[in-house]
Amino acid sequence: MSLEEPSTPELDTGETLEGVDYDALESLLGEYAIGRESHVNAEAFVVRPDEVQAALELLRDEAGFDHCSCVTAQEYEDRYESIYHLRKYDDPTQEVGVVVPTTKDDPVSESANEVYRTADWHEREAYDLVGIEYDDHPDLRRILLPETWQGHPLSLDYDQEQPQVVEFAEHANPLREDHAADAQSDTMFLNIGPHHPATHGVLHLKTTLDGETVADVESDIGYLHRCEEQICQNGTYRHQIMPYPDRWDYISAGILNEWAYARAAEDMADIDVPEYAQVIRTMSAEMCRIASHMLAVATFALDIYGDFTAIFMYAMRDREVMQNLLEDLTGQRLMFNYLRLGGVAWDLPEPREEFFEQTRDFLDELPGKLEEFHDMITSNEIFQLRCVNTGVLDPETAKSYGATGPVARGSGVDYDIRRDDPYGYYDELDWDVVTEDGCDNYSRVLVRMREVEESAKIIEQCVDLLEEWPEDERNIQSNVPRTLKPDADTEIYRSVEGAKGELGIYMRADGTDKPARFKIRSPCFSNLQTLPEMSQGEYIPDLIASLGSLDIVLGEVDR
Amino acid sequence: MGTTMKHALGGETFTVEYPEETPEVSPRFRGVHKFSQERCIWCRQCENVCPNDTIQIVTDDQRNGEQYNLHIGQCIYCRLCEEVCPVDAILLTQNFEFTGDTKDDLAYNMEQLKNVPWYKDIDPLASREPDRSGWVGEGEGEVDYQ
Amino acid sequence: MTFTETISSLLPISGPIADFIGGAVASLLIISFLMSLVAVSGIWGKRKITAAFTDRIAVNRHGPFGLLIIVADAVRLLSKELIVPDGVDRPAWDLGPLVMTSSALLGFAVIPMGDLFGLNLQIADPQAGLAYVFATASIASVGLVMAGYSSNNKYSMLGGLRAVAQNLAYEIPLVVTGVSVVLFAGSLQLSEIVAAQGETLVSLGGVAIPSWYAFVNPFAFILFMIANLAEVGRNPFDVPEAPTEIVAGWQTEYSSVYFVLCYLSEFIHIFLGGAIIATIFLGGPAGPFLPGFVWMVIKILGVYLFTQWCRSAIPRVRIDQLIEIGWKGLLELSFANLVLTAVIVGLL
Repeated sequence: MSLEEPSTPELDTGETLEGVDYDALESLLGEYAIGRESHVNAEAFVVRPDEVQAALELLRDEAGFDHCSCVTAQEYEDRYESIYHLRKYDDPTQEVGVVVPTTKDDPVSESANEVYRTADWHEREAYDLVGIEYDDHPDLRRILLPETWQGHPLSLDYDQEQPQVVEFAEHANPLREDHAADAQSDTMFLNIGPHHPATHGVLHLKTTLDGETVADVESDIGYLHRCEEQICQNGTYRHQIMPYPDRWDYISAGILNEWAYARAAEDMADIDVPEYAQVIRTMSAEMCRIASHMLAVATFALDIYGDFTAIFMYAMRDREVMQNLLEDLTGQRLMFNYLRLGGVAWDLPEPREEFFEQTRDFLDELPGKLEEFHDMITSNEIFQLRCVNTGVLDPETAKSYGATGPVARGSGVDYDIRRDDPYGYYDELDWDVVTEDGCDNYSRVLVRMREVEESAKIIEQCVDLLEEWPEDERNIQSNVPRTLKPDADTEIYRSVEGAKGELGIYMRADGTDKPARFKIRSPCFSNLQTLPEMSQGEYIPDLIASLGSLDIVLGEVDR
Repeated sequence: MGTTMKHALGGETFTVEYPEETPEVSPRFRGVHKFSQERCIWCRQCENVCPNDTIQIVTDDQRNGEQYNLHIGQCIYCRLCEEVCPVDAILLTQNFEFTGDTKDDLAYNMEQLKNVPWYKDIDPLASREPDRSGWVGEGEGEVDYQ
Repeated sequence: MTFTETISSLLPISGPIADFIGGAVASLLIISFLMSLVAVSGIWGKRKITAAFTDRIAVNRHGPFGLLIIVADAVRLLSKELIVPDGVDRPAWDLGPLVMTSSALLGFAVIPMGDLFGLNLQIADPQAGLAYVFATASIASVGLVMAGYSSNNKYSMLGGLRAVAQNLAYEIPLVVTGVSVVLFAGSLQLSEIVAAQGETLVSLGGVAIPSWYAFVNPFAFILFMIANLAEVGRNPFDVPEAPTEIVAGWQTEYSSVYFVLCYLSEFIHIFLGGAIIATIFLGGPAGPFLPGFVWMVIKILGVYLFTQWCRSAIPRVRIDQLIEIGWKGLLELSFANLVLTAVIVGLL
């Protein structure tokens, strides 16, 4: 926000100084809104399946909801439902849901793709897993499951026992397209992945090349789909879900992911978290962020430098320190399972002084180490030559694709849930949101490196707080019932700032101790959608660099 | 380039020569389980809390334990079983070194679980004891002992 | 007297047959030496050097300092199955690695490797030595194209095409910079060039600095080092392989023995590059105390170390940037250097 901002900012329709005025929104939607629901996070309006576009357009253009955070689809006994979770990039606390019910026998609803580009993949996922069809969708295919899959696994009548026997001949042959191509054509089809040194997991990029220039690129994901949503739907709120968030973004961002679930579940079941636990959470989450960003920088350097070079190992070395600290704290190096509903599992390890000392040592050495990284990476002329002005993602496109996290901030979108929709202890601490206006690969790397500094600042303040915390007030967990059964039809969508961006959880309770629908809004999933925008017309090395700068983790993309 | 040369000449390494030099493992580290039949009261809470049905308990009709099976290859090492156990009958040692030729080798039965060695003779219970108090009581909710 | 002549003079016969046997034995000795050099520095040294730059330990389990890794690796690589992909163009695919390796080895025929126990280890010393070295070294790009094009793999093809583009862009600056040295020395014969560098350039406090062309014309030396990096395809110019982009470029489909040949050719190329640099810029085998041959090897390994250093510290440039640097930067600079040298040599 600039300083010239007028003292009374221009308000969108339905926006008041306190937040969202849902009645005004309802009158704005007029006859589009045929009903109104109340979710824990925001009000939601029910819209007819053939008026989705018009309603969303109104909300985007008149009411300023420019961020389609997530699309959740689910099946009830009597209907299908798609929920569009909208919020604003300027103020993510202003939320509204758009609920689109469709009938069981004709589950067709209008696609939101025209309004929010990000709906493209989200709706494909909804079609794939739940079975809702979207009219006017440009490319409604399965996205996570193989094209030959029978049935929609999250629909109620899905038979899990049904064998998925697919003859080899029925599988899509990735090479066929190539042979079918016109012999006169100048382009070449190239499969980058699923096994390729630079795809950071099992990602398949169907690339059409014109010489060395990328004419078209299409990501084929789903190789690492592990039914994480369904696993969570089969686990109890109280204990059994918490180990799994560690496995979404498994690159040491575990606590950040756990916090996403913890935040949603705590808000849903109205659980308080002791302040002391919040400080520990904040500290450990930022440790995870450092570890995760270190790896992001390391692998990005790997993509640019082309070998397991010095930078990769140095970043690994520094990440190792962070991981040792996290191991002391949580008992595990990656799959922490440290947060509990209502607090954390353990207090700081004894002796506390040693832990503080080690943390401080790391923080003291960090500036020198970052200096080294800047020496080797960002101030290297060849590196700049490679990264500046490649993979350009302008802010408007980034918003429309629902990009968040360092990707959005590298495009100058000032959006950070930690500050804009505060949770934990973040609003009590002194730190800044990092943005860069370059919109290119270089800015995204810079954002990550500067965010490491900010995280270090947060950790330092947390350590100060923890050191002085009175001994008798070290309450790490509030009293939480052993079995949690939130009221039936409580719905909530809550997000936190994960390492890669906005990590949101949608949950619907049905009165039992397990969620009826558990939907993960993965930041990588939305960020990866921007890849074609960034790399079309550029060279293969730039495509690889852009992919690296997105810092995707396929475990989180495919869930 | 200068920075890398500095590192090269510095001669310091940060890697660990593993088998000769075992890494320092935090006392909280969660490794292979160790089971104590003397302590176990066969309350089956661990079996219930296990998120992916790794623990399988067989009891006779008097609720006397007959089998305690745990597939350490399937386990996700979340420590929930240790956390819910009221008598510390199942513990996660720091032992991370386990191998098997087949998946079946990793399906441990009661005897194998009892024989899991302590890692460097550390009994994790001591280091975790202070945190027991952090584990919360039943609250107002339904108590799910059987 | 060259190495060949020394050996053939030891034979009881004389004439063309003796010359042939002498040449064959001499080449065999030099090649065996090169192979062992590759074995030590390529398999073991490379690991150790990279590890040093990245704060690691690297091989240390196989024998003293892990040196037996060389044996282990040789057995491993040679005993692997040779996988011939479907649809490869067999003759070209088979010939590719051979062409690359032999072209690099051919270059060593004229390199003055210095003296060892009074023996001159130069196999042959033709009048047009330098031209010959450049010519043979460039044959490798034919091998690269053959390998890339015949592999029936798009990554290989991209790699092969990149290799050609790169070699075209860097061969010319390389040769032109080399010519500037020829202007100084007034001869293409490598022994003459080495001899010309024997004179003292300046004497500083009793230490005579020889007139190595690296000191006489450091500008040309730097140009040549850069062009040489591109010529041997090392960072920042390793685009024909570019593991993160096009998997392994032209060598994607090679396995087992063919892979060994590719690997070998790469290292011998680096050594050949080092030998050329040593010969025309660093006074060849000249150096105090130690025998000339040892100095030559030290200089070659010095250049090798430099390539490995670049590998762990410098990002790879993009193919279009690489060609731009080659055609728009190095080519102009190398011609400027040539003209300048010509003027200076003319004035002197």
